[in-house]
Amino acid sequence: MSAAARPGSHWLRHGVVYAAMLPMLATVLFAYLGTVFWSVRVSVSSSRTLPSSDFVGMAQYTRLFASERWLLSLENVVVFGVIFIAACLVLGFLLAVFIDQKVAGEGVLRTVFLYPYAMSFVATGLIWQWVLNPELGIQSTVRALGFETFTFDWIATQDKVMYAIALAAVWQAAGLVMALMLAGLRGIDDSLWKAARIDGIPTWRVYMSIVLPMLGPSIGTAVVLLSVSVVKVYDVVVAMTQGGPGLASEVPGKFIMDNLFGRANIGLASAASTVLLLTVLALLAPWMYARARAARNGGHR
Amino acid sequence: MIRKHSLAIGASLAVLAVGAAHAQANRAEVIHWWTSGGESAAIQEIANGYKAAGGTWVDSAIAGGEAARSAAINRIVGGNPSTAAQFNTSQQFLDIVKGGMLNNVDEVAKKNDWDKILPAPILKSIKIDGHFYAVPVNIHMPAWFWYSKAAFAKAGIAAEPKTPEEFFAALDKLKAAGITPVAFGGQPWQEKIVFDALLAHIGGSDLYLKVYKGDQKAIASPEFKNVLASFKKLKSYTDAGSPNRNWNDATSMVISGKAGVQIMGDWAKGEFQAAKQTAGKEFGCFPGFGPKAPYIIAGDVFVFPKTTDAAAIKSQQLLATVMTSPATQVAFNNKKGSIPIRTDVDAKSMDTCAQQGIAAMKDVSRQLPNSEMLVAPDITGALQDVVTKFWNTNQSVDDAVKAVGAAVKG
Amino acid sequence: MNTTTTTMPSQPLAPPNVARTSVRPRRSAWTPARIGIYAFLLVCAVFFLFPLYVMLITSVKPMEEIRLGNLFSLPVKVTLEPWAVAWSAACTGLQCEGIKGGFFNSIAIVVPSTILSILVGALNGYALSFWKPRGGTLLFGVLLMGAFVPYQVIMFPLVRAFAALSIFGTLPGIVLIHTIFGMPVMTLLFRNYYASIPNELFKAARIDGGGFWRIFLQLMLPMSLPILVVAVIMQVTGIWNDFILGLVFAGRDHLPMTVQLNNVINTTTGERLYNVNMAATVLTSLVPLFIYLVSGRWFVRGIAAGAVKG
Repeated sequence: MSAAARPGSHWLRHGVVYAAMLPMLATVLFAYLGTVFWSVRVSVSSSRTLPSSDFVGMAQYTRLFASERWLLSLENVVVFGVIFIAACLVLGFLLAVFIDQKVAGEGVLRTVFLYPYAMSFVATGLIWQWVLNPELGIQSTVRALGFETFTFDWIATQDKVMYAIALAAVWQAAGLVMALMLAGLRGIDDSLWKAARIDGIPTWRVYMSIVLPMLGPSIGTAVVLLSVSVVKVYDVVVAMTQGGPGLASEVPGKFIMDNLFGRANIGLASAASTVLLLTVLALLAPWMYARARAARNGGHR
Repeated sequence: MIRKHSLAIGASLAVLAVGAAHAQANRAEVIHWWTSGGESAAIQEIANGYKAAGGTWVDSAIAGGEAARSAAINRIVGGNPSTAAQFNTSQQFLDIVKGGMLNNVDEVAKKNDWDKILPAPILKSIKIDGHFYAVPVNIHMPAWFWYSKAAFAKAGIAAEPKTPEEFFAALDKLKAAGITPVAFGGQPWQEKIVFDALLAHIGGSDLYLKVYKGDQKAIASPEFKNVLASFKKLKSYTDAGSPNRNWNDATSMVISGKAGVQIMGDWAKGEFQAAKQTAGKEFGCFPGFGPKAPYIIAGDVFVFPKTTDAAAIKSQQLLATVMTSPATQVAFNNKKGSIPIRTDVDAKSMDTCAQQGIAAMKDVSRQLPNSEMLVAPDITGALQDVVTKFWNTNQSVDDAVKAVGAAVKG
Repeated sequence: MNTTTTTMPSQPLAPPNVARTSVRPRRSAWTPARIGIYAFLLVCAVFFLFPLYVMLITSVKPMEEIRLGNLFSLPVKVTLEPWAVAWSAACTGLQCEGIKGGFFNSIAIVVPSTILSILVGALNGYALSFWKPRGGTLLFGVLLMGAFVPYQVIMFPLVRAFAALSIFGTLPGIVLIHTIFGMPVMTLLFRNYYASIPNELFKAARIDGGGFWRIFLQLMLPMSLPILVVAVIMQVTGIWNDFILGLVFAGRDHLPMTVQLNNVINTTTGERLYNVNMAATVLTSLVPLFIYLVSGRWFVRGIAAGAVKG
């Protein structure tokens, strides 16, 4: 393009674009960058209930990584994240594909899979807690039916409680992934199907080799959304187990929240949040860089 | 014509203005977290008392103590404070006092002789640097023993246990009779309550205070190890469904006789009353083992965000006066399940459990501040982590001792 | 071409551009594959529905039955009182007027916040995807990072800033907050959606003389129907169910329904009326559910197909 040839004209010609991006710029600068820098500043102070302006260096970070609860929370969130994202993607994709097969009652089915997303987790989390409780829920019901040795007490076991939480979380989020995939599927050209039909390719091959790659952006969106949920997971843990039994289902989101409010230790909470952000940055930045390079090199994808 | 008209309008406007001023006289917006049926009836008593004294109560209820306190602090930071905000009798509001965000109520305190009528642990909590910054409204005791009379009868337990040994013997009898001995809710805060109860009732007041003061020798002592061991022993008397259970569900077990005993605060009375049971008839209550058992003090206070608005200050002082008046104290605490902060009230209308509590409070040697009054919220939290880990895993008593030692250092 | 059509099952004769619901080239014949599809959907439906079943039967049982703890059993005595109590008589503090009080406040917050956040997100996604301004990718990357920060951590400076701008505790303030916190996800949604729209379309429109706004309003926005539906679903649900932001930034006069809901359900030392809690939760979720139900008619195929051909 000749835009680069005359220096001022790029901005002039595309002034509209930059003007339209001003809200985004303002938000990023003030609401995000500014506040994140503030929280990093707090993380190197000894702030308790209120921010204080002293400087204690890395003391909060040392305390953070000496905390068994924090380290456990990191472990847990990784386990939870892997299961949650994989299950939601697979289930969401399958539901979207199957619903898209011109099934009867599509509207009803779509609402059935989406409604958990509409409900506040405080109550639904309690239901899951009851259902998974060995004395109250599924285990006792199945045992009463005659299967004396049936056990399903994940929620009361130290090393399986995260699976129980992942189960409830997938129940809540898979519907949204389905909706995303459905929107993406509906954006695929009709002629594609006709062409595949004509070529005699079996349907499942069409899905695997053609549709799935075309759903790339939708899957990308879903992965980012799910990752955000994983990093910030809090409601489901508090509603189901309160971080228990013991410390077994502690997650970083809950660690941060507890220190922000109950423990009146915003310095430690900010340190934890900074560590979390840096970790996410370290994981996402290479991927985004690669995408940016690909975008610059070819196509506008 | 026009003149008469405008005169009439002016007059009616003036009347309206005076009326409006009257209607909003002593306006007080109060943030609190009492939102359940019983709690609402309780705060109604305070609001009524305030209205009778000529005030206007504007209610800002936010369930969940942490959410309410955080909202109150954010409002102060945002320059739009409420007139009063609820906190616990604890060190929760120490930081905002030090940050200069609260008004003091020294005038009301002096006029009403708070130094004389309030118990020492509470005074210590509300008096910071010589000024009074909070109004206490009740005394809750988090370590009551609630038991089902039917379950005790079935297990053949004749009398309330007077020593730790009798207590465990009673639990054994319950187990033998096929009743879940202890109704337990496996949530960290509940585990901490039970732990504190055993520390006070089995370890004794001295050990309790030493541990919370951070005395490492006391923590490493055999008496403390005994407390830890007894705490873990209690686990064998709970059922498999206890992890994550809400305290109300545990009380339900006692109400229905499925379980024998629950160690829980005096707010549990509300559940018994909702199930139409009466103290002394279907259920019993005792605050510890024997007549000298420590009575752990916890409670709620109201603080007053800083303002220079004279009308608001007047409202704050009126609130403080009403909240601590004898009549309001009895009416409020009757509905709340707690006991009044002053011992010079007529407690005949309160139930037997409350009367036991008031009698216990009269004995100054039995008064024991709860952990939130003794240490910062951070340390209470760290101890809670230690206790819940010890309860839920196979951690040895020695490792737990080390963990407690590290936690109280802060 | 003709020989193959005679051997295939007959096709529905729908014109390619029009789409009401999916126009998949398959008849509803009861092949094993078809049965498998229905079986899978049915099993999933059971998994998704059984917590709702527990919620609903708990909400019509009296507390004495709930205390007995039989989760899955049908109520012996059905009572609709918890629903009435939840709506208009549950205690939420001094008042005992149920959750209905905050209903219109929530509407007043959700409508402008949804519209604004989606518009801004679509605009950003459109600009980033087609016009590729300098520094756009970096800006987007930073914005996305912001989505990972739990907003309670950064609430302090935001409270201070809003107070300084005199919009703390006002309706415009809470709308702005929701727009700010919705921006990363909305921008992501639209940017990725527009990435799958062929660039030729955009180039053609520019050659036709379209400017920034014309192309956005007359071409891209109408084509974004499916993703708009998803965006509406996400924002309505997220903003309707939001608690902490509304509590802090909306001011006492505009507190959303979730504050009342929290007051009904949440309690530390008060009694828990589980039947009322369940009823209140279902009642609160009716608005997002309604949106899901009616959104169906717009889950249509993209019009991109027709536009490219035409």
